[in-house]
Amino acid sequence: MTDIHYENWEPVIGLEVHVQLNTKSKMFSRSLNQFGDEPNTNIDMVNTGQPGTLPILNKQAVKYAIQFGLAVNAEVARTSSFDRKSYFYPDNPRNFQITQFFNPIIRNGTVTCDVDGHTKHVKIVEAHLEDDTGMLKHFSSFAGVDYNRAGTPLLEVVSAPSMHSPKDASAFAMALKAIMQYLGVAECNMDQGGLRMDANISVRPKGDKTLRPKVEIKNMNSFHNMEMAIEAEIRRQIQAYTLNPNEDHAKAIQPGTYRFDLSTRKTVMMRLKEDALDYRYFPEPDLVPITLQEEEIEALKASLPELPHQRYLRYISDLELPADSASVLINDKYTSDFFEEALPIAKNATSLCNWLISEFLGRFKEKGITLKASNLKSENIGKLVRMIEEKVITGRIAKQVADDMLAHPEKNPEEIVKANPNYQPVSDTGVIEPIVDQILKDNPQSIADYKAGRTKAMAFLVGQVMKETKGKASPSVVNDLILKKISS
Amino acid sequence: MKTAIEIRQNFVDGKISAVEIVTQYLERIKKYDSELNAFLAVFNERALEKAKALDAKREKGEPLGKLAGVPIAIKDNILIEGQLCTCASKMLENYKAPYSATVARLLEEEDAILIGKTNMDEFAMGGSGTHSAFGPTKNPYDLTCSPGGSSSGSAAAVSADLCPIALGSDTGGSIRQPAALTGIVGFKPTYGRVSRYGLVAFGSSLDQIGPFTHSVKDVALMMEVLGKHCEHDSTSLNTTPIRYLEEIESSLEGKRIGVPWHFLEELNGEVKDNFEESIEKLKSLGAEVIDVDLDILKYGVSIYYILSTAEASTNLARFDGIRYGYRTKKAENLESTYRLSRSKGFGWEVKNRILLGTSVLSSSSYEELFAKAQKVRTLLIHKMREAFGKCDCIAIPTAPSTAFALDGMKDPLEEYLQDLYTIGANMAGLPAISVPSGLSAKGKPFGIQFMGPQTHDLEVMRFAYAFESKCPPLSPPQFGAGND
Amino acid sequence: MSLEEEKNSKYLGSLARIELSEDEEKTFNQNLEKILGYMHLLDEVDTQGTLPCTHVLETTTNVMGEDEVGEHLDHETFLKNAPDSVGGMIKVPPVMQAE
Repeated sequence: MTDIHYENWEPVIGLEVHVQLNTKSKMFSRSLNQFGDEPNTNIDMVNTGQPGTLPILNKQAVKYAIQFGLAVNAEVARTSSFDRKSYFYPDNPRNFQITQFFNPIIRNGTVTCDVDGHTKHVKIVEAHLEDDTGMLKHFSSFAGVDYNRAGTPLLEVVSAPSMHSPKDASAFAMALKAIMQYLGVAECNMDQGGLRMDANISVRPKGDKTLRPKVEIKNMNSFHNMEMAIEAEIRRQIQAYTLNPNEDHAKAIQPGTYRFDLSTRKTVMMRLKEDALDYRYFPEPDLVPITLQEEEIEALKASLPELPHQRYLRYISDLELPADSASVLINDKYTSDFFEEALPIAKNATSLCNWLISEFLGRFKEKGITLKASNLKSENIGKLVRMIEEKVITGRIAKQVADDMLAHPEKNPEEIVKANPNYQPVSDTGVIEPIVDQILKDNPQSIADYKAGRTKAMAFLVGQVMKETKGKASPSVVNDLILKKISS
Repeated sequence: MKTAIEIRQNFVDGKISAVEIVTQYLERIKKYDSELNAFLAVFNERALEKAKALDAKREKGEPLGKLAGVPIAIKDNILIEGQLCTCASKMLENYKAPYSATVARLLEEEDAILIGKTNMDEFAMGGSGTHSAFGPTKNPYDLTCSPGGSSSGSAAAVSADLCPIALGSDTGGSIRQPAALTGIVGFKPTYGRVSRYGLVAFGSSLDQIGPFTHSVKDVALMMEVLGKHCEHDSTSLNTTPIRYLEEIESSLEGKRIGVPWHFLEELNGEVKDNFEESIEKLKSLGAEVIDVDLDILKYGVSIYYILSTAEASTNLARFDGIRYGYRTKKAENLESTYRLSRSKGFGWEVKNRILLGTSVLSSSSYEELFAKAQKVRTLLIHKMREAFGKCDCIAIPTAPSTAFALDGMKDPLEEYLQDLYTIGANMAGLPAISVPSGLSAKGKPFGIQFMGPQTHDLEVMRFAYAFESKCPPLSPPQFGAGND
Repeated sequence: MSLEEEKNSKYLGSLARIELSEDEEKTFNQNLEKILGYMHLLDEVDTQGTLPCTHVLETTTNVMGEDEVGEHLDHETFLKNAPDSVGGMIKVPPVMQAE
């Protein structure tokens, strides 16, 4: 069995991310752009490819593309145009897609993202507008086609092959998602296919500057699955090169289009590169070019909202949030906006952040919901954090209150605490003191340890009192009492 | 033979009812079309219903449209909601249009009465009318001859007076060439002048819808109705509407007509004689005839082969048996569904052009064929602009020959060369008209073509109108001569 | 793929989803040389520095529609023309997971 030295190889990854824009109507026609309706009910003459129909460009989609370009410091092409891309598939109503191959509207640009606390700047090669296909539903002996989605505006963002790990790739994609959400141009609902990723993967010996043949994995709509898929493919390629050291590179890894099989956790080939389709791109004669003026671009630039990375910097400098926490926080706009709303009430940014991205997020994961779906109000979480700050309740009690809030999102924490006597923290020394005395009496060794300099012993003693009071005693009161008693 | 203007006037004056008008034409169609095969569908009921409604409108004294009472036939690649739109193909034999083309809507808004759908070369690919899945159309002037194409049915119908006006489409000459061969007027507007929404696309950057008529003034009337901006067509011109009828009468005194004599070098025989006679007529009207260099037009057919087939190969990709149209019953998987449906649904000429177009766009050929053709197209446009710098209008024969035998074209190249003189106007998006200019010794019509710069549709009509008034009216075809 | 292979009617047919009969293929291949020759007449034209014509109406640009929901195709009308449908969807033979 040959030893495979994965660490001697460098993965090279590029992503093509397809983002559905949240316009009201389609890219080239005016039926409703909406997910989840009955099949073939949001359709029109154009998006079902009826004979004699012609595309009419959606003004808003163009505006969104420009805003994205400005947000990533890209060049907004003063002239851009559309092209036909031909291939046959039932979800393709004309058997050609209208895309931008020769003159994309956005060129170059940079997406700033965070990978394990390190800031990375990933280059974008280009971003362009195109229309989405319909949906194919597979059954055993037939397939059904629903054209509701056909014609949905897509912004396709193509990165440079400058990422070197699965985490890089998902960080980039998450940062892209955040930018889209902050701009308000796309919702990026992954479950609904609002953001889909294709990854191009190759590997090379560390230190090598040349690029080897690559494999494309298409249509991933989950960051986690994408990381797994990329990881699986990297390993496959490294294994292939290691086991076939004298083989021609292309022969060894068989470049082509692959898909990731979730059940086997392996990448499976769909089509070899030689069999790759010739898309026969040529300029779309039914659409005229887009020509943009300086003034309109400047106006859009001036009206850009705060972007994720700007907010991230603000969080770590002004609010002094730890980098990784800030990173998680800004990656979802809803959560981040929620945080901003709750902050004036909560008063402690770090604590609020922690409650949102750790305590509450953990609870959401258990229930399989999101912050938005929980219906929790920002002022309520803000209040909860403030109550802890002001020592109205202990941290431990707060966790129980949080569970109650989740179960009853319409209730605010003040009323929850008021309604439940068990949540009232006990600061009455008259109640606590006897318990402290008892614990101290039962644990002479701990007292000795503490006096010998082992601070952990104090925590143990406090913990014992807390246990006796079922967590209701105010920890600082307990702490003070013990100290007083030991030193006297 | 009544013109549309005369028919409308008679109707508006109360001399005849819409029902009577439509009945007369429906009877002529019934009597003569089985021989001609110009119509694929006749709207017996629909037309009479519309006529009745129009008569009621007139009764009530309501305002009447510009085409009130005028029966119009529509080429079967233009959609009318609820009616079959076959493009003369098995592929769309049972396809019912879910919407109406802008032109159909505009015509009905002006109270025209759509009388039926006309035969054509399948998907507008051809110049003879023999490439229809539903049989060829005959030329009323000589039933052994082709009426030209691809708007064969529309031309034959107007020529035989089965209707006073018909709509056709022109991608390389498909209105003008059949107009010339059947002795009527045919007009291709400036590209973008008439909406293409609802016209089944063939060569998107070349296609235009236009009218067949018996008189140039009828063309003017039709263009007042059709020449409007359309919000469903991105290539639609957005200019102020022109009052063609009011402005059409104009002297040619001092006007300059360009003739590309060198390009026409190979013209011979009767066609040449007729053209030279026509030029003399124009001179007698006071026009100055100037020589212009349009040698570049000799590349027209090559450019056309490349660009039109390329565009068509993608425009016809949607006909795959999936959403509508012919789907084979024999396929068990998706790939054979596509293959069998398309191979059986399309006729030979269509398949041929799709394969050629596919070849032209393939990555290895793109630069040397497609991109090259686009560049030569640019040069052609420049050359035409240069020519128009010296003249107001270009005169050129419409077709290199009179009507040819129905089974006459064996060589595909030969049929393409029929478009030699008409292609230039499509390449450069120019307005162009064919006007009858005489009959050959065998009694077959000639046509002369006038072309103008982009958007100079009115100017082209003026030249045509002046020429027409200098010409004695063409003897109508023997066939169908019976009633008036 | 070599130029020759690319001009092959079988390859073109696979791209265009068209299968010619034996006779049709013969005719196609026979005519192809002539037609290609005609297309290559353009080789003699000097196009150095000439831009390709992509739109014949040079001055028309920026034609866009407002992002408003407008015309719509009725579900029943759409399915009426369909060769086969099921559950409101167009029915097609089973498809391999692809693009």
